[in-house]
Amino acid sequence: MRRAKPARRSATRLLALCGGMALGLLSPAAHGADVEYGRYLSTECTTCHGVSKAESTIPDIHGLGESHIAEVIKAYRTKALPNPVMQNVAARLGDEEIAALAAYFATAKRPK
Amino acid sequence: MSTLGLPMLSAPALAQGKPRVVIIGGGPGGATAARYIAKESNGAIDVTLIEPLKTFTTCFFSNLYVGGFRDYKSLTHNYDKVRKGGVKVVHALAASIDRDKKHVVLAGGGKVPYDRLLVAPGIDIKFDSVPGYSESAAEVMPHAWKPGAQTQLLVRKLNALKDGDQIVMIAPPNPYRCPPGPYERVSMFAHVLKKKGFKKSRIVILDPKPTFSKQAVFSEGWEKHYPGVIEWQDPKIHGGIKGVDAKTGEVKTDFTNYKPALVNVIPAQMAGKIARDAGLANQSGFCPIDAASMKSTVDPNIFVVGDASIAGEMPKSAFSANSQAKVAAMVIRAELTKSRAFPARYSNTCWSLIAPDDDVKVGASYEPVDGVIKASSTFVSQRNESADVRKQNYKESIDWYKGITADVFG
Repeated sequence: MRRAKPARRSATRLLALCGGMALGLLSPAAHGADVEYGRYLSTECTTCHGVSKAESTIPDIHGLGESHIAEVIKAYRTKALPNPVMQNVAARLGDEEIAALAAYFATAKRPK
Repeated sequence: MSTLGLPMLSAPALAQGKPRVVIIGGGPGGATAARYIAKESNGAIDVTLIEPLKTFTTCFFSNLYVGGFRDYKSLTHNYDKVRKGGVKVVHALAASIDRDKKHVVLAGGGKVPYDRLLVAPGIDIKFDSVPGYSESAAEVMPHAWKPGAQTQLLVRKLNALKDGDQIVMIAPPNPYRCPPGPYERVSMFAHVLKKKGFKKSRIVILDPKPTFSKQAVFSEGWEKHYPGVIEWQDPKIHGGIKGVDAKTGEVKTDFTNYKPALVNVIPAQMAGKIARDAGLANQSGFCPIDAASMKSTVDPNIFVVGDASIAGEMPKSAFSANSQAKVAAMVIRAELTKSRAFPARYSNTCWSLIAPDDDVKVGASYEPVDGVIKASSTFVSQRNESADVRKQNYKESIDWYKGITADVFG
């Protein structure tokens, strides 16, 4: 598993939404995240997140840092972030599933 | 990770070359399944999509065309990228399914053999569910509940109205495609009348149902944006919809006869003909499926996704079809190539535009519970939300359309 790419513009915007949330330093994948499961789970995300541009209300999440993705999903799960669509998506994700998703998206390329 | 208890069939095709998946219907369910099976199997599965039309016009967002927010072309998509994604696209009508011989018969006479078949034909209209209505009557009183010429006819008739003309919509009984759709459409009718500066035109909805999707926020929005213009009648008010007469233009209920300038009849619906002819539907007219896989309960080699399926608590929507197709694609791959199977997870969100920048949404996550797809968590827009929230919903819906059409068609 190669290291996550630096967060891009959309990631920075999401990060700002998270306020001063402390981000984990270790990659979840390093702790055995199930990337194949994450790839399956990601199909729920790609309905909306496939073609996003910078100005989109639905950010591109391909290639974002693992820890960042995990923390943002968890923030939706606790409703610290506001969108009900994402709160609903996150509501049923356990920590293992969030780690799997984060590990997958960290290395995933945006669909062509 | 738990895996599904899926039967790993001997799959004789595996010994003879690539396993073959055939998909009937190139809409949100069928095209999604085709693309995901081709992509995720890396060419290990031979995928054929059978769709008669060379371009697909989405029913979702067609109300925004009715309201003048989008042009018709923006709803139309081709299959070039589906093809580039490794799918064989056959533009032909699938005439029948021979389940014993496991092949699809094309209208031109060709046969397309399959190891697994995914059927996504969408809906057919039950014309006789409204007395006096028929396919020919729809040329005068459009249903516009399947995309294409019907939608364009409805828009032409809407744009020809004069101030004081009346619109009557007959809403459909459950279950039907796009639960909030009729009420978003009425909102778009009212928006067009308002934009034209009409003061005297009125819209009557004759509904066979006692309640409808997102009713609280639609009712609030109608009162706010179009006061006195929209009258919704449940069965207690109209007493029963007696029928229509396309020749005289009349609509009759138990209490009143209407003679509106525009009649929009949205009848009851059923699974597309090919699914019913193949014996995949039950008495309801729709196709029962296994909640964990979207596999037909009557044929282990066939999957049914989208509006034609009985998907428990999931609404009939493009989002649902797209979500179901991904579960079916995962299970089909697992059966044919022994890739890993995962627990089914489904989701849906439906956005509805009430007026410019006033958009509401409803959504849920779904999972199989005791053999039925059930909602595990839900949300719906609330009354008295801020204008900013509603405007953000609208922007989100536009971005969603870009996202899902790219997911479906590439």
